[in-house]
Amino acid sequence: MTSQHTRLTSADEARIRAEFDDAYDFDPKDPLFGLGRAAMCGPRLERRTVLRLLAAAGLLTSGHLMGAVRPARAEGKAGGTLTCGWAGVGEIVTLDPAQINQVLQFQISSNVLSGLTHINAELIAQGDLAESWTVSDDGTEYTFKLRQGVRFHNGDPFTADDVLFTYKRSSDPQKSIHSAVVANIAGLDKVDDHTVHFKLKAPQASFLPKVLERASGRAMTIVCKGALEKMGESAYGLAPVGTGPFKVTQHQLGQAVVLERNTEYYDKDRPKLDKVVIQPIIDAEPLAAAIEAGDIKLIGGNPIAPELIDRFAANGDLVVDETPGPTFQALWVNPWHENMKVTDFNKPLEELMKEKGFMARLAIAKAIDRHAYLKQAQFGRGTPAFGTVNPAMGHYFDPSLADSSNQKFDLAKAKQLFADAGYPDGKGFPKLRLLTTPSNKRETEVVANQLKQNLNIDVAIETKDFPVLIEDFDGMNWDLVRLGSGGDYDPDDALVDWMQTTSKFNGRLRDKSKYPFGFFSDKDVDALISKQSATADVDKRREMVVKANKTTSDKVASAFLFHQPDILVHHKSVNFPKESRIPGLVDLDRVTLA
Amino acid sequence: MSRFLIRRVIGSVIVMWAVATLVFFMLRIVPGDPIAAMLFDAGDAAAVEALRHKLGLDAPIYVQYFKWFWLMFHGDLGNSIYGSHVPVSQAIAEALPRTLSLASLGFIIALAIAVPAGLIAATRRNSMLDNVVSFGAFLGLSMPEFWLGILLIIVFAAGLKWLPAIGYAPLSEGFWPWLSHLILPAIAVGTTFSAIIARNIRSGMLEVLKTDYIRVARAKGLTGTAIILRHAFPNALIPVITVVGIAFALLMAGAVVVENVFAIKGLGRLLIQSILNRDYPTVQGAVLVVSTIFILCNLVVDVLYTMIDPRIRYDT
Repeated sequence: MTSQHTRLTSADEARIRAEFDDAYDFDPKDPLFGLGRAAMCGPRLERRTVLRLLAAAGLLTSGHLMGAVRPARAEGKAGGTLTCGWAGVGEIVTLDPAQINQVLQFQISSNVLSGLTHINAELIAQGDLAESWTVSDDGTEYTFKLRQGVRFHNGDPFTADDVLFTYKRSSDPQKSIHSAVVANIAGLDKVDDHTVHFKLKAPQASFLPKVLERASGRAMTIVCKGALEKMGESAYGLAPVGTGPFKVTQHQLGQAVVLERNTEYYDKDRPKLDKVVIQPIIDAEPLAAAIEAGDIKLIGGNPIAPELIDRFAANGDLVVDETPGPTFQALWVNPWHENMKVTDFNKPLEELMKEKGFMARLAIAKAIDRHAYLKQAQFGRGTPAFGTVNPAMGHYFDPSLADSSNQKFDLAKAKQLFADAGYPDGKGFPKLRLLTTPSNKRETEVVANQLKQNLNIDVAIETKDFPVLIEDFDGMNWDLVRLGSGGDYDPDDALVDWMQTTSKFNGRLRDKSKYPFGFFSDKDVDALISKQSATADVDKRREMVVKANKTTSDKVASAFLFHQPDILVHHKSVNFPKESRIPGLVDLDRVTLA
Repeated sequence: MSRFLIRRVIGSVIVMWAVATLVFFMLRIVPGDPIAAMLFDAGDAAAVEALRHKLGLDAPIYVQYFKWFWLMFHGDLGNSIYGSHVPVSQAIAEALPRTLSLASLGFIIALAIAVPAGLIAATRRNSMLDNVVSFGAFLGLSMPEFWLGILLIIVFAAGLKWLPAIGYAPLSEGFWPWLSHLILPAIAVGTTFSAIIARNIRSGMLEVLKTDYIRVARAKGLTGTAIILRHAFPNALIPVITVVGIAFALLMAGAVVVENVFAIKGLGRLLIQSILNRDYPTVQGAVLVVSTIFILCNLVVDVLYTMIDPRIRYDT
């Protein structure tokens, strides 16, 4: 195994600390996040600017600062075919950014389609199809100069009309599932064929690295109007025409996606590979055998089954590269269940602590030994979770929550709470239904065993196909559910999507006459989340994020389990440069074969 | 015979309509909302309803049924409601050659193992050879396909590196790429069926070998090989062909486990995947094709009966 670890010197540590301090030093009154107009303009932001913007967007981690310690460089030669396996998936159902709803899909589309910007390994927003840009003094107007001479894979020239077409398509909920991402855009105008002007409703720190980003943003990933109209949505979804480094030359649904080098790519030095073949592989063991046999040289797609990682790490032919992942996983506890009932989360915590339903909920959350869980269920990989905000969010992740959370593992207290709720040693507590997907069954059994051993709660695990599970979850038809989230780069992903009364996952299909809210509702938390979302000042925003996250943790919005790491496995003959190692993405334009 | 065939074709059409109708309504009764699953990480309740309307899933079920039936009657199986909304006929057309390749090769392997094994076991009854064949048949029957598949991958792909571990290459890429990708999965599916067929051949042969005409053949001084191949084996084939017909139909429709292990998107995997996604049009289309395959296999078996046993006549 080739381990990829970096040993920091004390000088490096001092520099990183200084850069952290500098990055978070904002003037709260300045809509440009403490930066001058010149600093905010493109095509490439200065390192200091980037660090501050990342911090403002909640994307800064020490990993970005470490990038300077070890500059990445690709080795190997250009050309050749890279065969990849996409883990845990039967087919790549779509590559149309308007329909993409899984990370494993935009991992591929990021190699085919471009955006105005694209983040690099340090999550720095760089000009992609945007050559340069300027920002107004109040931070609500952006003018982009577009690259000239760029052509789509079908030969159509890329112009401002394609940006307008993409925006129009993305803002229509009938055509795109990402209309909410562009909701802060008040207007988009074409200045000339190669200049566009955005007007925002309010300053948005994440506008460049998120909204206009080509991969995870998806809403403003540029699609080809001519090709879309000619091919139709179905064919375009399978083989989208873009301006990216690779073009899709073949897509046999469920069998393989074949990408070939775009010889007309605007950067003549990229891509390096001639061809990439991506095969979806559902089962873990065939995936492992395929990379061990050399049939595939790199694994992308869904997170690799944790039981395989040590095996790969022990294989001298393979490289295992691990970094914090933007996820949280949780055990959801239904507040409408008779024995765990909490009908009003607005009450102060002290009052809730006196309610029997809340005591039972809290006892469950406190009885989960997350370290033991990680060891038994995840083969020791991951970070114990106490909230939805994950370590990949850098500055916004509060490591001290592990000690301060009401949910911290304490078996004696958990037993006492359960006894006080009226269930000494679990007596009188009903059997609970725990819903999970077939692929999560093994790790869910670890949770069920802990609840049995620690609180003597009988748990019946029910495995359900995802469409059934999500329908039950949305309708609040469950006692416990094992479910989580991935691709969360910003506190909004963790809090707005999950922890507000109006969050899209919060009992979306529930019977509102029966259940006034879904799994959680707290007015103070709602207000805090809304406020942090519109706050540019990073320290103030962090304060609100941390407070909201802690409240959801203390009030047991969910029994949080762990944050999954992002693990990339490839053959040692594959040179995957550090500058392409973007968490969650698999950008192949700089990859070479030895 | 021709009247029999016409009757069977008419009956088959009715069966296919009944199966398709049953599947149409059952799919909508079973829990699982395709829209909620599609929009899991995007869209609120309004977006769910907008998409439901766009895909026509908010219309009354009978309206959806007649619309689907009318399109199907005109040869249009509709579009997938999931992902890229590809035409169902396209998805089936892509999956069918893979399944046909896998099933055919698996079938040949199953027969190549089963026929000699069954004959040897029957003619060497209670011998060491019979015991070995019977043990092998039990082993083949009791070994899960996925496990055998993984074992084959570990030994022949990961270990010896003789054959590719996963995937499928169409014949257009060359005979060897096509064959090399199919050998291991075909062995995995063929082994189980070879065990079933071998046991049927053995028991059928044992029955026939006890009959008087075999005794007469022996008394006439015919060689053992002639007795077995010319007199005994054809007469033991009737029950075997029934099993073989069903086996082929099952291979065509149900090799999903092996298809998953070897990452081959065949008909079985298409069906399972679309069921998991609650992709109604694709499930309906795939079930229609699978039921057609079963009906065709049964029809071929019925015709083969008349060829093997002249006493069987359907028009009398």
